[in-house]
Amino acid sequence: MSENKELFALIEQLSKLCGTSGDEYDVREFIKSRIPAECTVTTDSIGNLIVFRKGKKTPKNKIMYCAHMDEVGFIVTDISDDGRLRFAAVGGISPAVVFGRRVIFANGVTGVIAAKALHHMSSDEEDKQPKISDLAIDIGAENAEEAKKYISQGDCCYFSGEYEAFGNGFIKGKALDDRVGCAIMLTMLGDEPEYDTYFVFTVQEEIGTRGAACAAFSVRPDIAVVLETTTACDIADTDGEKTVCKLGDGVVVSFMDRSTIYDRELYKLGRETADSIGVKNQTKTLVAGGNDSGAIHKAIGGVRTMALSVPTRYLHSPACVMKAEDVEATLAVARAVLPKIAEL
Amino acid sequence: MEKMLETLCAASGVSGAENNACEAALSLLRKYSPDAKADKFGCVSGYIGDPDNGKPTVMLEAHIDEIGFIVTYIDDSGFLRVGNCGGTDRRLYAAQTVTIHTVNGDIKGVICTLPPHVASDSSKTMKTEEIAIDAGFPSRKEAEKIISAGDRVTIDNTLAKLCGTRVTSKALDDRAGVTAVLYALELIQGKTLPYNIEVLFASQEEVRGRGAIIAAFNSSADIALVTDVSFAYTSDDKKQDCGTMGKGAMIGISPVLDNEVTNELKKLAKDKSIPYQCEVMGHDTGTDADHISISHGGIRTGLISIPIKYMHTPVEVADTEDIKAVGRLMAAFITGGESDV
Repeated sequence: MSENKELFALIEQLSKLCGTSGDEYDVREFIKSRIPAECTVTTDSIGNLIVFRKGKKTPKNKIMYCAHMDEVGFIVTDISDDGRLRFAAVGGISPAVVFGRRVIFANGVTGVIAAKALHHMSSDEEDKQPKISDLAIDIGAENAEEAKKYISQGDCCYFSGEYEAFGNGFIKGKALDDRVGCAIMLTMLGDEPEYDTYFVFTVQEEIGTRGAACAAFSVRPDIAVVLETTTACDIADTDGEKTVCKLGDGVVVSFMDRSTIYDRELYKLGRETADSIGVKNQTKTLVAGGNDSGAIHKAIGGVRTMALSVPTRYLHSPACVMKAEDVEATLAVARAVLPKIAEL
Repeated sequence: MEKMLETLCAASGVSGAENNACEAALSLLRKYSPDAKADKFGCVSGYIGDPDNGKPTVMLEAHIDEIGFIVTYIDDSGFLRVGNCGGTDRRLYAAQTVTIHTVNGDIKGVICTLPPHVASDSSKTMKTEEIAIDAGFPSRKEAEKIISAGDRVTIDNTLAKLCGTRVTSKALDDRAGVTAVLYALELIQGKTLPYNIEVLFASQEEVRGRGAIIAAFNSSADIALVTDVSFAYTSDDKKQDCGTMGKGAMIGISPVLDNEVTNELKKLAKDKSIPYQCEVMGHDTGTDADHISISHGGIRTGLISIPIKYMHTPVEVADTEDIKAVGRLMAAFITGGESDV
């Protein structure tokens, strides 16, 4: 298999795994099983997977690459008398992508989220998007007693979104945020490394970049590179700066988002490195979103941080959409910056 | 029966473009009616019996179409605009994975939406005219190589099992009804019937029952038994507007339905211990029964419905025991109540 084929096969496998914030076990175990034997692997107390890859040289700067394992999902808060499950979103999820969806539990139980038929709604009701707090998951149970045979309070469930390639080089799936970052790091772990490097697969990014805060403290990097997905709004009825970034325009190097003002020199280095190897790159035209950089750059008295992201449409939905060539561009630049930041 | 339901639900058949669903239904129906055929209007019909034997004819009817969208326009950036075929639920449009059924084959797309990172207002539902489908094409030119205006679009979901005997899928409305008819035909295999049987799987029910109007004109039925889906109660709805899932066939009682047929259905359900509940409507039924009953000089019509939850969503829920109850009740009727079903 060519490297790109392997990369996308890996993304597909990772996309199918389920692991919302605080429930990343399955994703972590899968990633662990794919880490080359020569690496040193530790799981810290919050659940981050910290991987050290010895290189030919020890770099001037201690380098940490990061991607998060968790995805947005749902947690069962209560089981109603009628057998339906009340739930909360884990991470930021728009109620519009929750209604009319199928969800899956780790034990294989399927549920659906909907409400009374539109035929029974008033025209006012048709205009209102039901809030997540007003919705319930129906697993087909007759009553609470039957539901409790399958589900307990605190169980997590997930969007069921098929991973598929479609259109002109596009892919879609659930949890591409940030399993794509994980797949890029796993691919880099297969390289014969020039420099010693830490690769950290973090937890709890979606509920406030909590895992990354701990990882930065224990790894104590000089420079961090966060591999992520970022909001692309290059869709119908959106134009100009509101598109934020575009699919097909390459890796996104950020100068600022809502959690971080990035290191200016690293930002420039990211873009220039991409240019120098002939890889398409862009930046965001709007200060939006945030990622593990928010926690990392403030840790241990400050860590110089760079974010390289794959532009992604419909983040935090069952159908995140990206362009395959942008994933390849992100991998290429993630690799190419390593020797430069090592000796910066 | 579950396998049959799964096959039928997986087929696509948005109103006016039912061919794929027709083919699925035809191949199942031919087991009982080898001469069954689909017509130019997307209706499937079959016959069991002999038109010259003097027996009265009973029509068993369900609709074959499902709700969906139709591509109306492809914009310069390759996004598709659509209109709706039937009553689609606006609460669930955002970020749905869809299949676009083109002459070049089925392709995938996603309904555009802004993520919570940038969207300011999530309290309003999207309007159908606001839908743009992202089919992964960078321009109209690229998109038009594959997609044409007029192509139909479905929101994906194949059948999945829930707890007990419940299932979820798209298009249970009304593939559950088609399945009930086929199940009835399976139950009467090898039995001598007091009736000739016509089977009709009608197109375009979701756009005001046009298929049934067209097909019923060519029918010679004396009596029609129509099966469609109806509302199963959920706690956010009104009990008086709904049936109960798992409580059996919903026998329709309405001014447009024939009282004798209705009473016979109730009697048979009692005699044969087939679970049933009554659905009383003070008006017409909103099903093909409304049209079939006034076809020709009038066809005496009964309605047996299957309670489903979340109608017109891709996550409709039904209880397969309810579907079986409807099939058994139809079988009991067309065997004249003579045999065990």
